[in-house]
Parts: sequence; C-alpha cells; structure tokens
Amino acid sequence: MSVRGTHVPEHLRLPIAGVTPPPTEKEGQRLFPTGNFRFFRPVYKDKTPPCNHACPTGEQIQKYLDYVKHDRYLDGYLTILQDNPMPSVTGRVCYHPCETACNRAAHDEPIGIRGVERFLGDFGLNLAENPIKKELPPLNGKTVAIAGSGPGGLACAYHLRRRGYASVIFETLAKPGGMLRGGIPAWHLPEDILEAEIAKLLDLGGIEIRCGTRVGDGPDGVTLDHLRTSYDAVFLALGQDVGRRLDVEGAQARGVIGAMEFLRETGLGRPVRIGRDVLVIGGGNTASDAARSAIRLGGGEATIVSLEAEDELLIQPEDLDQARDEGVGFRPNSALVRVLTDAAGNVSGAVLARARLAKDGHGTVTPQITPGTETEVRCDTILVAIGQVQVLGWLPAHYTERGLVKADDFGRVPDEAGTVFAGGDVMRGPSMVVDALGDGKRAARDIDRVLSAGPLRPEDPVEVMPYEKLNTAYFRHAPRTEAPLAPAGTRRSSQVTEVTLAYSREQALAEADRCMSCGVCNGCDNCYIVCPDVSVMRDTRQNGHYSIRTHYCKGCLVCVQECPTGCLEKVPEMDFDEPDAVVRMETAFAPYDGAHAEQAPFTRQLIEDAIAEYDASRSKSKSIHPNGQGVTP
Amino acid sequence: MYHELTVWSRGIIMDKEARDVSTCVAAAARRLGYYAENVSDYVDDPDRTNCLVRRYARFADTPILDRFVYENPHPDWVVLVEETIIKAVNFFRSTRDGQGVLVINSARDPQYLLKFLPGHMLAKLGRLVVVDATGLAEQRGSSPWMFVRDLSELAFDRMSTEGAVERLAIGRGIAAPLIGALVAATGDLPVDAVAEVVADRDAMLRGARQHTVVQYARES
Repeated sequence: MSVRGTHVPEHLRLPIAGVTPPPTEKEGQRLFPTGNFRFFRPVYKDKTPPCNHACPTGEQIQKYLDYVKHDRYLDGYLTILQDNPMPSVTGRVCYHPCETACNRAAHDEPIGIRGVERFLGDFGLNLAENPIKKELPPLNGKTVAIAGSGPGGLACAYHLRRRGYASVIFETLAKPGGMLRGGIPAWHLPEDILEAEIAKLLDLGGIEIRCGTRVGDGPDGVTLDHLRTSYDAVFLALGQDVGRRLDVEGAQARGVIGAMEFLRETGLGRPVRIGRDVLVIGGGNTASDAARSAIRLGGGEATIVSLEAEDELLIQPEDLDQARDEGVGFRPNSALVRVLTDAAGNVSGAVLARARLAKDGHGTVTPQITPGTETEVRCDTILVAIGQVQVLGWLPAHYTERGLVKADDFGRVPDEAGTVFAGGDVMRGPSMVVDALGDGKRAARDIDRVLSAGPLRPEDPVEVMPYEKLNTAYFRHAPRTEAPLAPAGTRRSSQVTEVTLAYSREQALAEADRCMSCGVCNGCDNCYIVCPDVSVMRDTRQNGHYSIRTHYCKGCLVCVQECPTGCLEKVPEMDFDEPDAVVRMETAFAPYDGAHAEQAPFTRQLIEDAIAEYDASRSKSKSIHPNGQGVTP
Repeated sequence: MYHELTVWSRGIIMDKEARDVSTCVAAAARRLGYYAENVSDYVDDPDRTNCLVRRYARFADTPILDRFVYENPHPDWVVLVEETIIKAVNFFRSTRDGQGVLVINSARDPQYLLKFLPGHMLAKLGRLVVVDATGLAEQRGSSPWMFVRDLSELAFDRMSTEGAVERLAIGRGIAAPLIGALVAATGDLPVDAVAEVVADRDAMLRGARQHTVVQYARES
C-alpha cells in the first residue's frame, strides 16, 4: 500500500506488510504475536531409544552412531567410554541385546551396532593416549577391593576410577581378564585386544590387579574379613568358572573334560590335548565355543550333543551359523547315557539316547530319555558344557542362595556394613559379558553413593520409543551390512584367526547412517524446514538445538507430524502454567503489542474517551427513558 | 437489568459454538420480553482458522439505545468456548471490578484455571463457572474432537457469510451445556425458558446441573 501524498495521522501509521519486517523475520514475529492461536504446543522431548534401554551398561548408542555419521570418531569413542570401558571387547563378543531391541528390525533389519562399536573401540585402542586420562578427577583416598578381574570387576574398577576411587582387583589366575580370557576363545577375542584394553585401564592410574591371589580361605590369606576391614568397600565379581560335572557311568574316564576348564587352559595358553573325535555335551554358547575350539586344536571332528531340539539351542544365532560352516556336527534331542572306556581307562565311545527337555508350568526343565533308543558312538574326548557354578563355601552362609550370591536391587550383599556389593555371573547366573559390565558400572555408582553417604535410589523410569511412534516414511529401506567373516577353511585350522572381521570405515558409516535415532533429536532440520510459520528457531546448528517461538507458533503441529524421530510431541497448551508461558494480548488481533489497545497511548485514549462518552450518554438516558425505569449497567 | 455477554471462541472451527451461545441467550431474552441484541464479530479477522473471535449479545428490560455499538463496552458475562483462551487474551477489558462472570469449557480444576489470570483480571472476576461442556455434549460421529464438522457444514463459516441462514440447528453440541451453565450460574434468565430455544435441550440441562461455581469476588 502506497502512502505517498496522503496525510496519515500518527496513530494510524501501523506497520504494514512489505514495509515492516515480515513474520519470516524475528522482529516481524514480535509484531504479530499469534501464539494465542495455539491449543497444543510442540515440545522437544527426547526419549530413550530401545537399543540404549536394552544395553545393560546403558550405552548411548544413538549418540555414538550419530557421531560416526558425522565422522566424529573421538566423540563417539568418548560417548561409549562413559558407560563401557572396553568397546573393543564388547564390539567382538557382545551378544548385542541392542541389536535385538533395535526398532530397525521392524523396518528392515537391525543395525550392526556391535560392528560399529568395535570400529570405535579399535579406533580408541590406536590412539596414542587414552583421551579420558586427563579428565579424570584426582584420587580421593578411598580404595575399593574387587574380587575377580573379569568384565564385572574391571568395569567396576574403571567406573570407580572415573569417580575418583582407587581399587585393588584380586585375581586367582595368573593373568587378568576372568571369563574374557578363560571363557572366550581367542578366535572370538584376540589376546592382544584384551591385553590392550586391560593395559588401558591400568594406565588410568589407581587400579591395581593382584594376579594369583585367591580371595577366600586359601593359603594366600586374603579373606573376606580382611577385605572388609582393610578397604572402604568390596565388590564381589567372582564369576562362575567351575563346570558342572556329569553324573553318568564312566564320567571319571580319562578324556572326559569340562568345557570350562578346556577353554580356560586354552585361553591361558597352556598345552591341551584333545582328540580328533570330540563329543560336546550341552546346548549353549559354551558348548559351541568348546566344539569350535576342539576342531581348531585337534583338527578332527566335533559334535554337539544337546537335549534341546535344533531350533531350541541356546547358541547365539550367528555363532550357530558359523559353527555349522566350520563343520561342527549336531545331535539334537539326545542325551549321554554312558561313557565307554577302553582297557587303559581312556574314553573310547559313548552311549547316546533320544531325549527331550520336558517343561513344566514353572519353567523348570527336566530331561526325559526315551528308553530303548540307545546307540553307541565312537569318540575319544568328551567335553562337558552343562552349566557352570562357583565355589562359594568360604562366604558367610547368609550371603548365598542356591549357588549364587544374594543381592538386593542395588547389588548389595546382605551385610551389616552395607559396603559389600556383588555383580556378574556370581550374582545372576550365567549371563553375558555386557551384563557383568553393567553390574560393574552400577556397583561403582552405588559404592560411590554409599561412601559419600548419599541415598541409594532406583533408576529413574524412562520412556522407550516404540517403532510405531516413528515417522517411518522418512527412512528408506537399506540392507544391513553384515560383518565380514574369515573363510571357514582358514578358521578351522587356527586357534588365533579371528572369525568376525572389522567393518571398514565405509561400512561403519553405512551402518551408522541407518540409525533412525528413535525418539532422540538428531538435528535433521525437518521441523525447521516444514514449519509454515517460521516458528522453529535454529540459532546453532548443533544437535538438538531448536526451539519454538512460542509467541508466534500457532500450534498447527506440522512439525510434530513430520518429526522423523518422534522427539517432538504435542502438549496441551494448558499444561504450561509458568507466567511467561502466557501469550496474552489485549485484543484478539493486535498488530504489535498494544497497537490496537492499551499500550499505544493515543489509541488507548481514543477508546477510553469513547467509553467515557458512552457511559455519560447512558447515565443521561436514564432520566429520559420512556418507561421511567433506571438502567443498571 | 442490563447484561452484556461476550463469547470468545476460535475462528471458523469453533465459530458455530460461540454463535449459538450468543444467539440462544439473545433469542431467549427476547422471548421473555426483554430487549435484546446479538451481534457478529467485525474486528478480529474472523475468517482465520483458530484466531480469537468474539460474539456479542446483550439484553435489558429497557430499550437498548446504542444499537449500533457492536463491541460490548462493559461485558459482564464472558464465555470461553475453549479453555486455552484463558491465557490468550484480556477478555475482561472494561468489565467493571468484581462484576465479571466467567464461564469456561474445561475439565480442569477451577483453582488451576485461576492461576492463569493476572491480578488486573482477577480484580474484575466476580464468579468463575467451570463446565466440562465437551464431556457433557452429545457425541457426534466417532471423532473425539467434538468441534469438528465436515467441510460442507463449515462452508458458511469459512466464507464469512455473515448473516447467512444457519444450516444446522442452533444450540447443539458444545454450545448447549455452555448455555446451561451460563444461565444457571447467573440466574437472571429462567433455565427452562432458555432451554426452549436450545436444540439439544437435554445437554443444555446437563450443563445447567453439572458445573462448578467459584464465587471469587465478595458478593455485594
């Protein structure tokens, strides 16, 4: 509108479009505060992605995948280190509950999180200096005793160190690592990787590992009472490394070996004799590891004899596939009835029978052998992988329950002082490396709370983002990049050739790129782009730094509809009751604060005058009213 | 007796509710022998969806002299068709101190709603009437969003055809309980007489029975 040549009185010179800054500019939005159109407000509310929730250590997986996406490997590595001290280890051996929980499984295939973790872990191992070392707090003078140098003990020591505590780890074996060394074969987890991760922990300072020292009643004299009195707190991460024994005829024969013991001796690099014809009794991951190690060592054949049916095996699916590729045989639904021995007392064969696992209503399983189906098979070694226990006789009786250490919700052992904690297999029974790592992390946090006289409190409840709440239209289908494998032929002949190989940089990037960032803002700019009213502010381009101009946003909720990750939510405007949450105007339509009403003095005066005049006329009309009645305004 | 009713609503999608409240009150007053007026909105750009719009009615037992003043100079009855309007605008402009009767369609606690009123507005508030009109109204269709009508029903509102013939019965849906609560809480018009002009008589009577009144200003 042109105003040239026209006299416009001062009070009518309102800003008009084209002359004043348009609403697409910040100043222009101040002129038209249309926030009072809104009855729902878009709010950025990050939720917990399922991977993060499923990980016992609570790794912020979405966050480090996002860093990998942006080539920020050091940031990604540091993100992992907040929760997990050894990504190179878990990147190789973890049974990845994160991938099982991944929402991408409902979309196409879960993300290869473990491979990316390994990529970042190896990146971190190759750094000249541990990047967290200079950020650690100084030691506070308190020392915690840790029994067991497995993943639980190491994680606890690491997280205690991050909080300023020193620790002493007692390890029975000659080398630290616990199950990582004695339970996981080198072709899963190469020894140098484990050594490097442990060296990295020791390099932090304040962590001491005393190998060859057994805690308990042994000759070393390191008793529980000694630990309780000499240290500020105790963490029991003893693990379960004693294999269950067979109770069948001939079980004492030479050549019947516990799979745990077999794996431990192999892992410690001691010479182990194994035959060429091996039977492995058991249907779990230990059975699979033992069978595959036996093939590598003896160069012969190994057969897994399990009560479980083929589809009930408790072996991790990818391990099962790899075992099949390596030629491991399977005899599902079978039970060992008797071990046959030759004259010298060596194993010469076994009698197997058809069997199945009968489940009762309480979930307990009992083997049921079908009589009359016995068959004889030839073998020279029998590896027993029917579960593990731990010798806990040296602990006070009220510490233990059914072969496990008893602990409350905070991992605290029923001890008067309240400073004895437990975690890992010895508390929960055979479980994953990452479970022990998580227990160690939580124990360190709770030990810190107890020693600093803080209250122990349960974890805050979290909202896990379901697949259904994502805007899946934004995610194109992309196949998962499987981690490359060494050829089966090479694998069979070497105890040290790693089976699963690393992602290349491109592969890690491709996998990270598939992350849908469930429920967490990853700064994709979509809200910024789709907002028809330019109400999304992006003053910094960093992750998650958007804000809504509440004085201008009309609440159309296009941003909520179009948020790919679902981190934007609509919240009823009435839920915001803080004083500055009110976008109140003097009239319904105010070009700027007070243009129409009270704040503009001249306009206000006009209205006040009009009202006064009106009032005066009404009170005058009172007396002249035809029916003589007064008017009560 | 002289009352000015201002109904605040949101453009187009809730215009019908506001229109029905003011229309019914004015029509009932006229049937009862009062002088009454019912005025549309001319200043708020009412053809914009969601923007704040107003409807005015006033009635008196004497002739209303200034019939061409369409903005109520001193509204003493204020109805908010939708609860968030309580934080959106100063609907008590020029209301006399302690005289305002505020009727809100809300399922929330009246004390929570009072938090949104600044001191200068609380000074004008006489009585707060909270009625869950959305909950008391008759459900139409399966949508939980009670305001929605299909496009053909909205068409007249969308085109700002002021003065057009109503296509739908007057006083259905959310408007009916609102009218009931307003009339019952103010007490100047008999509820039964007003119910005569409301299409959904039952919902109107439900609103007249089920509402919360907070006497805010001391009764004079």
